[in-house]
Amino acid sequence: MKVETLSRRDFLQAAVRAPVALSWPAWMPRLAFAPEGVAPRGDTLIVVFLRGAADVLNMVVPHGEDFYYQARPTLAIPRPDDNQAQVDQRAVNLDGFFGLHPAMDPLTEAWQSGHLALVHACGAPDESRSHFRAMELMERGVSDQRGPASGWIGRHLASLNTGNPSPLRAIGLGDQVPRSLRGSVPVTALQSIADFHLGGDLAAAARMQSLLASMYTEQEPLGVIGQETLEILDTLESLDPAGYQPAAQANYPQSDFGRSLRQVAMLIKAQVGLEVAAIDIGGWDTHFGQGAGQGLMAGLLDDLSSGLAALHTDLADHLNELSVVVMSEFGRRVHENASLGTDHGHGSAMLLLGGGLVGGQVHGAWPGLAEGQLFGPGDLAVTTDYRDVLSEICRRRLNNPAVELIFPGYQPRAVGVAKRRPDAS
Amino acid sequence: MSLSRRDFVRLAGAIAGAAAASSACAPLAGELTGAYRAPGGWTELAPADYRGLARLTYGPTETETSFVAEHGLAAWIEEQLGLEITDDLPAEGLLRRFDLLRMQADQLEGWEPEEVLGQLRAASLQRQLYSRRQLHERLIEFWTDHFNISVDKGECWFLKVVDDRQVIRAHAQGRFADLLHASAKSPAMLVYLDNQVNEASAPNENYAREVMELHTLGVDGGYSQRDVMELARCLTGWTVKDHFWKGQFAFEPDLHDKGSKQVLGMAIEQAGVVEAERVLDELGAHPATAEHLATKLVRRFVTDHPLEDAPEAVRAVSRTFLQAGGHLPSVYRTLLLDGLVPQLDQLPPKIKRPVDFITSALRPLAAHSDGGASLHDHLALMGQPTFAWPTPDGPPDTADPWSGNLLPRWQFALELAQDEVDGTSIDIDALVEQAQRDEGHIADSLSQRLVGSPAGRGMQSALGQIRRQTDELDPQDMARLLVAGLIGSPQFQWR
Repeated sequence: MKVETLSRRDFLQAAVRAPVALSWPAWMPRLAFAPEGVAPRGDTLIVVFLRGAADVLNMVVPHGEDFYYQARPTLAIPRPDDNQAQVDQRAVNLDGFFGLHPAMDPLTEAWQSGHLALVHACGAPDESRSHFRAMELMERGVSDQRGPASGWIGRHLASLNTGNPSPLRAIGLGDQVPRSLRGSVPVTALQSIADFHLGGDLAAAARMQSLLASMYTEQEPLGVIGQETLEILDTLESLDPAGYQPAAQANYPQSDFGRSLRQVAMLIKAQVGLEVAAIDIGGWDTHFGQGAGQGLMAGLLDDLSSGLAALHTDLADHLNELSVVVMSEFGRRVHENASLGTDHGHGSAMLLLGGGLVGGQVHGAWPGLAEGQLFGPGDLAVTTDYRDVLSEICRRRLNNPAVELIFPGYQPRAVGVAKRRPDAS
Repeated sequence: MSLSRRDFVRLAGAIAGAAAASSACAPLAGELTGAYRAPGGWTELAPADYRGLARLTYGPTETETSFVAEHGLAAWIEEQLGLEITDDLPAEGLLRRFDLLRMQADQLEGWEPEEVLGQLRAASLQRQLYSRRQLHERLIEFWTDHFNISVDKGECWFLKVVDDRQVIRAHAQGRFADLLHASAKSPAMLVYLDNQVNEASAPNENYAREVMELHTLGVDGGYSQRDVMELARCLTGWTVKDHFWKGQFAFEPDLHDKGSKQVLGMAIEQAGVVEAERVLDELGAHPATAEHLATKLVRRFVTDHPLEDAPEAVRAVSRTFLQAGGHLPSVYRTLLLDGLVPQLDQLPPKIKRPVDFITSALRPLAAHSDGGASLHDHLALMGQPTFAWPTPDGPPDTADPWSGNLLPRWQFALELAQDEVDGTSIDIDALVEQAQRDEGHIADSLSQRLVGSPAGRGMQSALGQIRRQTDELDPQDMARLLVAGLIGSPQFQWR
């Protein structure tokens, strides 16, 4: 007999009409992974990597530093009380010394409610000032080329048995899985929940799917990731992203980043077993035409901040189960160049968002920007290793005490950015 | 057949002119020029030879498999290394319709970006699909990645057209130093890595760093942050003309740092444009550059892990590079005949990057394709946007970054099998008929084409099951299912 051809929409509507779906919001799947009683999973971790070395000095602006203004005659963000500048071009004051770029204003609510923590002058020991070397080492979580090839999140997943069988335990949003997620736990790239299906004629798709299932066996290279992809096809089939309503009219930006965050929020609420999501944002290598309160970088910061602010609103009821980490491979030169941009520097900063963080504070020792305080050719020095921050989040928020496996050979120091989860070991 | 270049150009023009006169559409041009074929009889190859061809072509066709069956892979490599553009009439004729690709930058600027990029991308893919000079196109791809430029930056959307023609294609069979100098003065590169705004008052280090880190010495090649800053000073004033002769290289003495400099231990006295040229000479012939390029070439053509799996090949290629003064055809010869061919029996698999995946599905099936937008949309979903990799390292060349994104490959496989890809089609009836002529099972016939061996056991048993469930599947539907399944299979993802 010939299988009757259903369009995908018919199929979804039929699934939604099925009685089992009635007790759930229409966009939710039937299955919930990680049933009660397995090891406590800790927070859901979202890692946002700003590719290209973000200029953190114009994000978390040291407006109390005269040297900052001397080094950046055209690119500096004016002081919060600078009457010469328009109000919407000035830094948003945080604590009298630091302020946020004006495009990051959407994050002030999270800051005031104590859910946004910042760590300044934070970074890695690597001095290559090479994007590719620095990103590789940072995502592997190692000090130099020796050490494991896997990523730090990959080792976190491998060393914490949460009894979570979900194929969506960890995902990379976008078209490639970031290096930090590499390791023994397979991780799939997810671009769009709505498009995560084989499409076209349903009968032909079903036949192909059964053929794929028989060919992707564990012995094959790519076998395990293929099986996982097939499982995700099944899991996501009953999700209806078009019907998803963010809470409290949270307004995600219409950008790749906004769409990624919106999908992650949906997966968290649907309880599909998501533990880690990694999202990349490119475009931060601002050698040329970086801009100050407006321009190239302001646009990137607007996207970043309005996205995170929407997530903060949408997941207001889940904040104690959420840790967001925003990081970049290194910072940029303190002095601007002649093409209205900044060259590769050293010290960076991290942004942390979640209910279990010590928010409303800029953490880390400030090394200063005076001549003798700079590092190398004129860069912000590093006073906090990024692994100090991540180790604390692994221990206190992800319930994974095995930081010596996650960051081999590194002795992390306390930073005080994260509160201990009640169920942390 | 021996043609002079002038004869060739006239002939190709006449063929394309005939095509253009009737409708200028790709399928017609493809048929008139002889670039498009119908599926013919398939010559089965030993696994090592099939793998070798998969590595060096964009997917084997009857042309390559029958040649290799008769003469061997080494002879095929020799033949390919000797081919010239005049040996590639059908593909060159097909490409005549891309008129924008012959224009200069100041002419291109007035066109719509979509149109310019459409031609650039379609031409690249059609060359990979239909050029007889398969190995040449593989090398073009290597250098395109090595000197990566994203058309999403500034005016690169039209400047890359000139870079593709006058830098990459002009020098890929010449000397590395010439390629490097041409790239350094390529307006597309000057814009992409910001050297066009590199001025004496506060230099922009972007290009100065990447030319040493990525294009020549390598990140461990022995340069320092100080060398980056000093080379950036040498490169001040290297820019792009804006009004008259728009889009041409220019050296602006007023923007150039007049002081003396020191790069890689060399004292550089004031000499204007010559300062950076001297450094480029040094970089182009440096032993660290030879080592870096050899490692990358071996990674691309032999193994993901050159230093572990094939250290002798890296040494041999590096030695040839230095001895031959960077003469690239000599380097390719060592790489392929000494580095690749002896390893064919135990060649470590390489994953197909998205371009490999799509082309190696289309070529063995004798697909007719305009190389157009729908294929490039698929490539972007798979993670390899054409001429739009954002960062200067180019798309990665090892398996890991690509292996987590299978679904877009499966989606393409199904669309192609169901004939739903705009501008690209396969002739299922002809493939079924050809399989019947080959007197084998259709599954084995298609599997031989696509993966170089008969259908695997997993596939066989699943087919049996599907047949039991839906016994009315006609031969065409069965062939479509096989095409989708084979292209989606784990084996097909490797070459």
